[in-house]
Amino acid sequence: MELVGEQKRIQALFSELRLADEQTAPRFTAVWNHAQTRSSRTWRPARAFNFSFVAATALLICALVSLALWSKYSQQNARQAIVVVTGNATPGTVPVEVVKDTAGDPPLSERGRDRAASRSRAKRLAAQRRALMLAINLKAAREAKAISNWQSPTTALLKSQNDELLKSLPQLSESANDLKSFLTNTPK
Amino acid sequence: MDNAELKVELEKLHSASFGWALSCCGRDRGEAEEVLQTVYLKILEGKARFRGEANLKTWLFAVIRNTAISEHRRSLLRGLRLTADREPTSEQASLYEAPTESLERSETEAQFQNALKTLPARQREALHLVFYEDLSLREAAEVMRVSIGSARQHYERGKKRLRETLGQTDIAYGISWRAKENPGAV
Repeated sequence: MELVGEQKRIQALFSELRLADEQTAPRFTAVWNHAQTRSSRTWRPARAFNFSFVAATALLICALVSLALWSKYSQQNARQAIVVVTGNATPGTVPVEVVKDTAGDPPLSERGRDRAASRSRAKRLAAQRRALMLAINLKAAREAKAISNWQSPTTALLKSQNDELLKSLPQLSESANDLKSFLTNTPK
Repeated sequence: MDNAELKVELEKLHSASFGWALSCCGRDRGEAEEVLQTVYLKILEGKARFRGEANLKTWLFAVIRNTAISEHRRSLLRGLRLTADREPTSEQASLYEAPTESLERSETEAQFQNALKTLPARQREALHLVFYEDLSLREAAEVMRVSIGSARQHYERGKKRLRETLGQTDIAYGISWRAKENPGAV
């Protein structure tokens, strides 16, 4: 019973609110005409210059430019590394492909030339890679050899005149003379 | 339905639409009018098209609600710039409240509006659509784009909460208000 009363009370409050709003509501024609006026201005500069779209495009361009720069820079670095490594290698080990100049190729048509250029570029890259691997292997081999031949600088200090004595042992059946002769360095 | 017919129907629903726009805009009259204008503009430009799938009133109210939400989001983004734009020009001033409209709101009405503001948006919407717009719960659910069960839940919770709030503020509905408006009636 009380709930129904409460509901009626809420209904009445909303009705009062609606009446108040109806009194203050703008006229339909005025709002409609304003909407029509806005509609007639179909070309809006805001539409033409969409800020978010421009920002997104600028961001994309920045990303692409930085990617291009980065890839160029990394390629340059790689080339420099190859030059340094191949410069250390012996002249004979540098593969022929690296030295080979493509300028001597016969003249081709535009498309053919492009294809040939890309092929020669790929070849050059492969040769560079091979040269790099070869240089690395040679370096490793040289280092291994150097390590196996290495001698300590203090080895000479450990040498003495009695090294022979230390290297051999007297036999039990040997005579005293033999023993004396054996001890050649002892004062007689 | 052609544009002329639609215009007639929209005119019939205009005051109810304005009330709903007011509710969606937190009782801000300027914003409500702006939203309503945008809705009419959408209809004129064909961005909002009534296909007859639902009741015209529920369709229109759903458009108003969506527009109000998007306008609110936009205003949050634009911040101060939008408030500057919304300053009424001399041309627009006639559309806004006339001096006579700034009539004193009764204390009861003010308290009721405050009580409504304390409700969560969904509950306020459900109550408004049912009590103010005389929609059924099914229609309210359509406007709110929720299931009927969900709309019922919002409605019941909103009613309960509103009762509590009104009880706290102790509104003597129909006595103090009417006594003030018409002392002879009480």
